[in-house]
Amino acid sequence: MSLKILVVEDDVVFCRLLTKFLNNNRIETRDAQSAARARELLALEKFDVVITDYKLPDEDGLSVLEATKNSPNSNSTKLLMSRFRDEEVVARARELGVVDFIQKPIKPAEFLELLEKLG
Amino acid sequence: MKLSIADNVHLVEPGDFEASEHWYPRVLNSNIHPLVSHFLHLTQDQFIARYNRLNPTTDPEMLKEILSYRPEYFKWSGTDMMHVTNRAGNRKLTIIETNSCPSGQKSMPLLDLNVEQGGYRKLIEQTFKPQIDLHDETGALAVIYDKNPMENVGYASTLADVFGEDVYLARFLKDDPNPPAKFVDNKLYVKSEDESWIPVRAAFRYVTQEPWNRLPLKSKTLLLNPIEACLAGGRNKTEAYMAYRKFNEQFRKYGLEIHTPETFLEVEHGDLPEYFEKLGRSMVVKVPDSNAGQGVYTVTSEKEMKQVYETLKQYQPEKYLIQQLIYSNHINGSDREKAWYHVGTIPDKKNRSYAFDLRLMMHYTENGLRPLAIYSRRARLPLNKPLPEGASSWDLYGTNLSVKQTEGWSYDDERLMLYDIRNFGNLGLGIDELIQGFIQSAMATYAIDRHAIEKFDKL
Repeated sequence: MSLKILVVEDDVVFCRLLTKFLNNNRIETRDAQSAARARELLALEKFDVVITDYKLPDEDGLSVLEATKNSPNSNSTKLLMSRFRDEEVVARARELGVVDFIQKPIKPAEFLELLEKLG
Repeated sequence: MKLSIADNVHLVEPGDFEASEHWYPRVLNSNIHPLVSHFLHLTQDQFIARYNRLNPTTDPEMLKEILSYRPEYFKWSGTDMMHVTNRAGNRKLTIIETNSCPSGQKSMPLLDLNVEQGGYRKLIEQTFKPQIDLHDETGALAVIYDKNPMENVGYASTLADVFGEDVYLARFLKDDPNPPAKFVDNKLYVKSEDESWIPVRAAFRYVTQEPWNRLPLKSKTLLLNPIEACLAGGRNKTEAYMAYRKFNEQFRKYGLEIHTPETFLEVEHGDLPEYFEKLGRSMVVKVPDSNAGQGVYTVTSEKEMKQVYETLKQYQPEKYLIQQLIYSNHINGSDREKAWYHVGTIPDKKNRSYAFDLRLMMHYTENGLRPLAIYSRRARLPLNKPLPEGASSWDLYGTNLSVKQTEGWSYDDERLMLYDIRNFGNLGLGIDELIQGFIQSAMATYAIDRHAIEKFDKL
């Protein structure tokens, strides 16, 4: 599977562990700890999958998804993750093209399976 | 592994250890220097016999007592030392500071290529596990941290493997208004799934930034190390110096002494210029409870004196620790005994020699205090070349790799000097210096633990 994904999550350890795991499984992974940094990466690079946490230190994850619209990533697969499922947020995310909502905690192996299905 | 079971909490499971996540890449590809390996395998009796041979006024029985000592609070420590010399050519390792949450595993080449978890496993298996097995509390295992995820995830996954159970990995920041860890009635709890709080029987603790704001004295949860180790000198330079001074008063008659630069305690802000003059217009100023290179200033000119004076106004009414600067080079005519200067690295092909420190991590085991990890860090600019215009004396003398940035900490990896085949020879250290460094570190750890006992056992 040849995928390049962007993980947007403010917890550095989360990013580090997930990124290493995915890289070890031959998935090229970049991470951003803020919406601002995610925007920069989205403007510069093309990703097959963008997964963002809903709760970010500067903005919310929906604004990151919004930023994919006018970027090389308008057609990338979008995923939203959060600890709690809020139907209103999920509905807005669907409007922004999110194909799946992932509830935390995340097991890297299960997440890999999901990516394999998407890939 | 379960990522993010609560905000900033992950559940680490047995089998999660991945070597590439817990060492710098260049360390993974390095081979330990055979002399360093030999040093790390020496027995306590060998350390004592060799040290006594080179320092014949030392009482070997007293040294044995120190190396066999079982610390009550300070079972894992790291000392930073400088290799210094004087006009008479008397070389020694002098203690700069002792740390109760020392980093170092990620910079230490594997001692045995067949033991994948290296020093992480030694510390957990030989130091922490025997304590946990005897500790009469119930609950989960945890790692609480505020820095250094590379090593802390390593400790969490090693802990999970050694005990065969899941380990909570929780970030416990100084300024977090809603931290995922808390102490209730001196027992640690960490947040778990569904926002529930899980009691913790033992926690590996790497909480470094003002840890006294979060960790209680007399914790019911077993902590490696408990806060007492910090307050008695592991995170307070003034207390550490007081501990060394007491040690020296007690053990000098046995030929044992902790070496430090000449030190002055509790200096008022207004008196800093006076000390600058008194010490020959150069000195080191330290904020007692600072760490990671923050709050330590080298002063070698009037301009730097003014800058430091202004900077330190923010800490008022703090009192400072002042130390004699270890000079860059020998100064003609200076006092034969007092003018210590850096030995420096072996000059490179461009004849550059750098100040470096030596970080020695140690731990208590059933065989007494043992060295566990060792590495060095060098300064940015060479000692034996003119200081470029605009450069500060810190560039010449400062060796800390931690660089505080707006979004956390980074590390200036280029100046890290591994004790591997490629780098170790550049330091000009031999096995006798390593033994001397180990003895200095053991004495400093002993001194701080005894100081902690005096301060806190009566409470």
